[in-house]
Amino acid sequence: MRRAWKTAAVAAVMSLALAGCGEKKEAAEPVKLDARLAEIYSHTCQTCHENAETGAPPAHDLAAWKPRLAQGESVLSDHIVNGFKGMPPLGQCIECSADDLLTLMKFMAAPALEAAQEEKEH
Amino acid sequence: MNTSRRNLLKLATAASALAATGTIPTLVESAFADAPLPARKALPWRNWSGGQSCEPSVRAAPANEAELAELLKKTSAPIRAVGAGHSFSGLVPTEGMLLTLDRISGVVDHDPATHQATVRAGTRLAAMAEELARRGLAFANLPDINKQSLAGAISTGTHGTGVGIGSLSSFVTGLRLVTASGESIDCDAGNRPEIFNAARVSLGTLGIITQIRVQAQPLYKLKRRTWIAPVDEMLEQVPELEAKNRNFEFYYIPFSGMALGIVNNETDEPETPTPVNEDDDGLRELKMLEDWLGWTPSLRRWAIQKALAGRAAEERVDYSHKTLATERGVRFNEMEYHLPRDAGPAALREIIDTIEKNNIKVFFPIEFRTTAPDDIWLSPFYERKSCSIAIHQFHEWDYHPYFAAIEPIHRKHGGRPHWGKLNTLAAADLETLYPKWKDFLEVRATLDPEGKFLNPYLKKVFGVA
Repeated sequence: MRRAWKTAAVAAVMSLALAGCGEKKEAAEPVKLDARLAEIYSHTCQTCHENAETGAPPAHDLAAWKPRLAQGESVLSDHIVNGFKGMPPLGQCIECSADDLLTLMKFMAAPALEAAQEEKEH
Repeated sequence: MNTSRRNLLKLATAASALAATGTIPTLVESAFADAPLPARKALPWRNWSGGQSCEPSVRAAPANEAELAELLKKTSAPIRAVGAGHSFSGLVPTEGMLLTLDRISGVVDHDPATHQATVRAGTRLAAMAEELARRGLAFANLPDINKQSLAGAISTGTHGTGVGIGSLSSFVTGLRLVTASGESIDCDAGNRPEIFNAARVSLGTLGIITQIRVQAQPLYKLKRRTWIAPVDEMLEQVPELEAKNRNFEFYYIPFSGMALGIVNNETDEPETPTPVNEDDDGLRELKMLEDWLGWTPSLRRWAIQKALAGRAAEERVDYSHKTLATERGVRFNEMEYHLPRDAGPAALREIIDTIEKNNIKVFFPIEFRTTAPDDIWLSPFYERKSCSIAIHQFHEWDYHPYFAAIEPIHRKHGGRPHWGKLNTLAAADLETLYPKWKDFLEVRATLDPEGKFLNPYLKKVFGVA
């Protein structure tokens, strides 16, 4: 029971961090990953979020992320902490802190650098 | 190159560019600014299915062997290494240090003459297979999930299917582990063979494995054939199907009388387009039928048979690493036992009878596979030609009643549990199943006299107070 409360507390804190995410329509700038997070991304998130077969929302596919973000912070944070469908709890990132997980999610929910640069050039 | 592969490359390129150049903080970033966040240690850990969890006091991700050795020397708390969290049994949970080898990953080198490669322990199987393929190499076999780390896979005796092919642990020709005292030990068949024989399947209890030498083979393609047949017909044909095909397995669909057979054989034929993976949709439909018709098994059987009627056999050609592993988008808990091969068909018939006579709530297909014997002390395939029967329960449902009904059948037939999957055995049960049990215990006690790498589950497994 104590653990369940602790999990709920973590989810609640992540909810606070996610607050407003669903309403941001112009989340149109790429997100920077530092070298450590880029390495983590390649070991964990990338495995599913760059593999169409998994059904996970593809990284940088804004249309795929929009309905996820629209579900609201409590749903999204619950999915990150406890897993959802094929998504493992915390993305099975062992060394990730809560802010790491949020940055990784924002990275995936934002456009890729390449796409953003093309947009600016036009 | 097909569209999805092009897209993947494009995305991968974009990710690398982001990492290399570093860009713009964003509008999204501002939405998250100033939010209070919990400390790293406050996050709970759960395995892939959600069935195992813990709150480690420390999480560690050493970047190399030297960092790892220093960490092990300094740490007195219990330490458990975790790979991808795909074990269903209690191997990982700890209140001490949870250690990931994610940063000790990648293929170190390979020998084109012997087809052997040295791979760092934290490398995920999917990434390893891709890198080996770039070097013109492939594993002789892979499990049907490829998310695991190589060290996690070999440490639990993870396997694929094929009567002439051993588990992944049997491909290991040498390894390095760092012990509780920080000592680095290289072992193989000629150098410290007692450690080598123990370490190839060792549940993370001898030390932390850091790199593994594996026997691969030249890159090859497989032709995969899948078909539907009555389960009685499939069971009668097991000897012929396993003998005539490189890889053979089948899934029994509960309450249907029908099975899905899968065989793979090497081919030089050109690759065929990658089909859409319909496994998850199929599972959701089977769940729907359980939800709606679970109260009437005969109607459920009719409905499943109707849905399967007229389904033609399918064929696909692709490189082995793309053919052998599949995506699993519906999570589950799993029990798998490895039985003497000849006992397999009779045991499976008993399992089917037990499920259907008691109308056990389940929709996941039951998996039947085969594996060649090996000489690894704690391998479930030790000196025994084996078949593996796996049962799965939807991750949101309580697995205990189902697994409790089936486990006695496995045990009656002399089954050895998959180390990474759920079972209720303790030391007294296990020592009767493994001829080299005591030899393993001696090596473990020598390398880790203080039990630094044991958690409560492993103390039960090894009978350590």
